[in-house]
Amino acid sequence: MSAVLAEHLSKIYTGGNKAVDRISFRLEKGEIFGFLGPNGAGKTTTIKLLCGMLSPSGGSCRVFDIDPTKDPEKLHQMSGVLTEHAQMYDHLSGIDNLIFYGTLFGMNKSDCEKRAKDLLERLDLTDAQNRKLSAYSTGMRQRLSLARAMMHSPQILFLDEPTSGLDPESAQNVNTLIQELAESGTTIFLCTHQLRYAQEICTTYGLMNKGSLFATGNIEKLRSMVSDKVKVRVKASCIPKDMEFEKTGEQTDDISVNSEDEIPLIVKRIVEAGGDIYHVSEEQMSLEEIYFSLIDRNHGEMERGNL
Amino acid sequence: MNIKQLALIKKDIRSITSNKQVLMVMLMVPLALAIVLPSMIALVTVLVPDSTSDFQKLLEMLPVPAGEYNQEQMILGLMLNKIMPAFFLVIPVMASSVMAASSFVGEKEKHTLETLLYSPLSLKQLFQSKILAGFSVGMMVSYISFAAMMLVLEIEMFFLTGSVIMPDLSWLIIMLLIAPAISIVAIAVTVRGSAKAQTMEEAQQRAVFLIFPILALVIGQFTGIILVNAWLLLGLGIVLAVLDVLLMRGAARKFTYEKLLK
Repeated sequence: MSAVLAEHLSKIYTGGNKAVDRISFRLEKGEIFGFLGPNGAGKTTTIKLLCGMLSPSGGSCRVFDIDPTKDPEKLHQMSGVLTEHAQMYDHLSGIDNLIFYGTLFGMNKSDCEKRAKDLLERLDLTDAQNRKLSAYSTGMRQRLSLARAMMHSPQILFLDEPTSGLDPESAQNVNTLIQELAESGTTIFLCTHQLRYAQEICTTYGLMNKGSLFATGNIEKLRSMVSDKVKVRVKASCIPKDMEFEKTGEQTDDISVNSEDEIPLIVKRIVEAGGDIYHVSEEQMSLEEIYFSLIDRNHGEMERGNL
Repeated sequence: MNIKQLALIKKDIRSITSNKQVLMVMLMVPLALAIVLPSMIALVTVLVPDSTSDFQKLLEMLPVPAGEYNQEQMILGLMLNKIMPAFFLVIPVMASSVMAASSFVGEKEKHTLETLLYSPLSLKQLFQSKILAGFSVGMMVSYISFAAMMLVLEIEMFFLTGSVIMPDLSWLIIMLLIAPAISIVAIAVTVRGSAKAQTMEEAQQRAVFLIFPILALVIGQFTGIILVNAWLLLGLGIVLAVLDVLLMRGAARKFTYEKLLK
């Protein structure tokens, strides 16, 4: 059984705005799926479709084999959701908010208190637990919302920009927590703009643009979609003239090869040409580079499609 | 009713004190209608003797028990049992509709409704809880207002006229039938409009129309067209109870997650 299965899932809002256009993907249990794309790409709409908040205009989706439109309550019992618009009560303290939401999920008061205290400590909010939410900063609210989504130990977490508004240290802390959850078997569906953080924690990715899911897979698969070439960074006193390279700094050049097997040959040729080598490394494209490259390509394809 | 729903109802009731706007309405309207208005009438009746002549024509039209009561006592009895019931009905309408608007649209305004929708409560359970919270508060405010009104009025009457005037059967029908029934009508009307409403004020506006039949009752009473008596109130209560069933039926079905999130 897949954790999430979407097949040709579409959502057209009243007025004809096609927010999600026939997307298909599958997530396995324990995966951290990075759902990436610019604003308005359809990421939040997809989360709402998967949580049963919106009815699909076409196609279908299942979360742990539950149809979100037919059985939303059953799905909500096993899922935790963090979105920008899912706020908590300003007049309640941090811990009282968590206890209230825990009770809504059927937990008894003592379990709620214990779980709330553990989460508050894990998210560095213990000192502020008795403060009213109205006195919380944006970052503290965000961390408390994450604690709220995790209160009932869900099997799947839908997180829409969980590190938005967080300082780097808190963001790192949240990412570590997400990784620990995934290791314990929780599936994570993560929408984010912060590609560096996404690359640190996600195991697979889905790239969205204008409602279309145009690339899915792990980072190696996405890299291969951008280029089959391997980039080798070389710091040498000289490079043979017949070798193609791109200068990136003083005595530092990037050379494209078809596979890792060609690296020893490059080294050999530089040495044979009398060059001294100080550094050789395989340079892999970051998620950020892959993302922009694929987004640009997708924009181009869409524009060509419109012509 | 399960523990999850109970938690939501408790939270809604407790949240009244945190919302100054709601709290003010909940305190001011009962204070004005259950304490200030009857006290003013009582004081004017006793302390400004000329004013009682204005009530003379009304007394002639109404079947007020004569005999052992003097004119002041008759006027005060008329006020308590014939005039105040109509005014009093504004309290459950107001308290329930303000509470319903606060707990539906107020949550929408503060972006806390979406969080509730992600809980394992079904939409029907969510509606039941919200309606029950509104109803409980409406009734609580009504009963406390009635108790406070009776306490203040009886003390005033005792000191002003030397005797007390007891509420008649009309009040029993009002407190046990009409107040709960009109409270549910107010909640149903507010809730039905809450899916489209974006602000609390917008949601409450619909319930304001319920004040018109009450006003008609007040005007009718003063002009002698309608006479508030137990039979009229019983009839009114039954009509409202039927209206409750009609309005509540399908009210929850009108809502979907999508409509609520708009």
